[in-house]
Amino acid sequence: MNTQTEQDKAKAGAAETLLSVNDLRVYFRTRTEPIRAVDGVSFSVANGETAALVGESGCGKSVTAMALSRLVPAPGYYAGGEIRFNGVDVLKLDLGELQKLRGAEISYVFQEPSSSLNPVFTIGYQIEEALRLHRRGLDVRDEAFRLLNTVGIADAKHRLRSYPHELSGGMQQRVMIAMALACRPKLLVADEPTTALDVTVQAQILDLLARLQHELGMAVLLITHNLGIVADVARRVNVMYAGRIIESGLTDEILSFPRHPYTRGLLAAVPRLGSNNKRLAGIPGTVPNPADLPAGCKFHPRCPMATDLCRRNEPGEEKVSETHGVKCHYWK
Amino acid sequence: MSLLEISDLHVSYAIARNRKVQAVKGASLAVERGASVGLVGESGCGKSTLAAAVLCLVKAERGLILYDGVNVPGLRGRELFKYRAKMQMVFQDPYGSLNPRLSVGSALEECLAVHAIGGRRERQARVAELLQTVGLERSHSARYPHEFSGGQRQRIGIARALAVNPEFIIADEPVSALDVSIQAQILNLLKDIQKNKNFSILFIAHDLAVVSYMCSRIYVMYLGEIMESGTTEDVYKHPAHPYTRALLAAVPDLDRARSVRGVKRPVLEGEMPSLLASIGGCPFHPRCPFARPVCRAEAPPVKDVAGGHFSRCHFAGEL
Repeated sequence: MNTQTEQDKAKAGAAETLLSVNDLRVYFRTRTEPIRAVDGVSFSVANGETAALVGESGCGKSVTAMALSRLVPAPGYYAGGEIRFNGVDVLKLDLGELQKLRGAEISYVFQEPSSSLNPVFTIGYQIEEALRLHRRGLDVRDEAFRLLNTVGIADAKHRLRSYPHELSGGMQQRVMIAMALACRPKLLVADEPTTALDVTVQAQILDLLARLQHELGMAVLLITHNLGIVADVARRVNVMYAGRIIESGLTDEILSFPRHPYTRGLLAAVPRLGSNNKRLAGIPGTVPNPADLPAGCKFHPRCPMATDLCRRNEPGEEKVSETHGVKCHYWK
Repeated sequence: MSLLEISDLHVSYAIARNRKVQAVKGASLAVERGASVGLVGESGCGKSTLAAAVLCLVKAERGLILYDGVNVPGLRGRELFKYRAKMQMVFQDPYGSLNPRLSVGSALEECLAVHAIGGRRERQARVAELLQTVGLERSHSARYPHEFSGGQRQRIGIARALAVNPEFIIADEPVSALDVSIQAQILNLLKDIQKNKNFSILFIAHDLAVVSYMCSRIYVMYLGEIMESGTTEDVYKHPAHPYTRALLAAVPDLDRARSVRGVKRPVLEGEMPSLLASIGGCPFHPRCPFARPVCRAEAPPVKDVAGGHFSRCHFAGEL
């Protein structure tokens, strides 16, 4: 493992890698054993690319996202691993340095825009807040106007004076994106940004993210439970289960040649147009409780191919190709 | 004759003295006995209001709702009560629609007690049976809603709807709050139970892929009006309304993405206008890529494109 970490470090030094997470462990203190929400996660995001982190509710994907700028609240703690962002180790930064990172270098868009916006301040005020904090000496009103235009809000001048409840869900999410872009971050973490929205608005928001990424050259980490969305936008996909990444690779590899039974299950669960005669396969059961994980491969209780080996030993990562890795005893 | 027949339904809400929002404007829809019918549209298009009118939860302003030949808005007292036992609903948010202070067992028993079904013993046996039907365990009846995951709660919501052995279930966005993997479980569960019990479903959702999986007939709604209707196959293979096309294009599609990634797909611009805005002509014209002068001037008639496939578009069949 040591050599692998070193290899990853070498990779992190390379110009194209923006973020590299190595063997990250985020645990939550309890009165007894800690809960291992994130247990040995490694992945990377290159400058300007869109990567996806996919998994069901409770698999640890949001905790991983929060950890990237050390936002995991107590009783959570960082039990090991490293997060290298743009060459610095985020887990070693002091509070002042962290504040320069948060919002300015790494920013977030969350699932529920209506609960992320403050209902008692205008949209304009909330966008300007980030600008005042991170970009002193700027005409904040002007910049807020420009940002609203960028995210495709019509009549931006008037909208700056609106309160969140006056906007639809899709518009609110656009405002959240405008806020996230305010400081021209190098990495935008979008945590289920379209889950609360209609499919039509979802398509608009995904389009907007893709366009902005192209124009601003920022990297995007898209977190979602729907592999269908991933197909449209991401270049790399990391599939997460029970606090681990169980398969990762280029989007085409994952979608066309999924190796892990869990990834296959996620793909089979997406309803496709004109499939009304075929039965959706789905995945039986639910995500295991992170406080009470099964032995061996964490997916074995739900896996149609599980054997004794799976119940005993947890599989390590094996390479399918240079870019495609999988943790399954039977991936071949 | 269809089990449920709605014709020219109008529903409005008063928002101030002398002002109202017209949420449903002349919608017509029919559901046969034992059929699954889908109602698709964006948030605010009036699909939930239509469901509420069918259940007599809001008043129909004009138009007919016939259930088994009986005029639903005219039902009162005892008759209405009996009607509601036949007609049950599964809600979108399984977190919000279960009483946090009632154990699952008592929540289910309550439905039976309200409709005076069975004695206490029988009710308990029926609760155990219901839990089993939806894939939960007998022992779960003593637990409270917070002890369940979202998917399990939706199973409880389904069990509650099944409790009184309804002939008709209205499922209003039953899976949109769930993970895809769990969605598949719930959709399959609904399909299986329906096959066994042979009730009708009116399935309401904004995702055409989900609806096309569940239903044999689809109605597409926009700003309170039905824009297109037809068999599932007709609607997704030969959409005859530009709005339906836009909805189809918005569905994240694994297959399409794999073949033509990088090619920009047509994204429907803008959002549904407010119901208060008065739009002349076709309600969809401000967002329609094919709109021509006639669309701004005249409301399109309903056209039959191909035996039982209807579209409310001036250019239906020509697009």
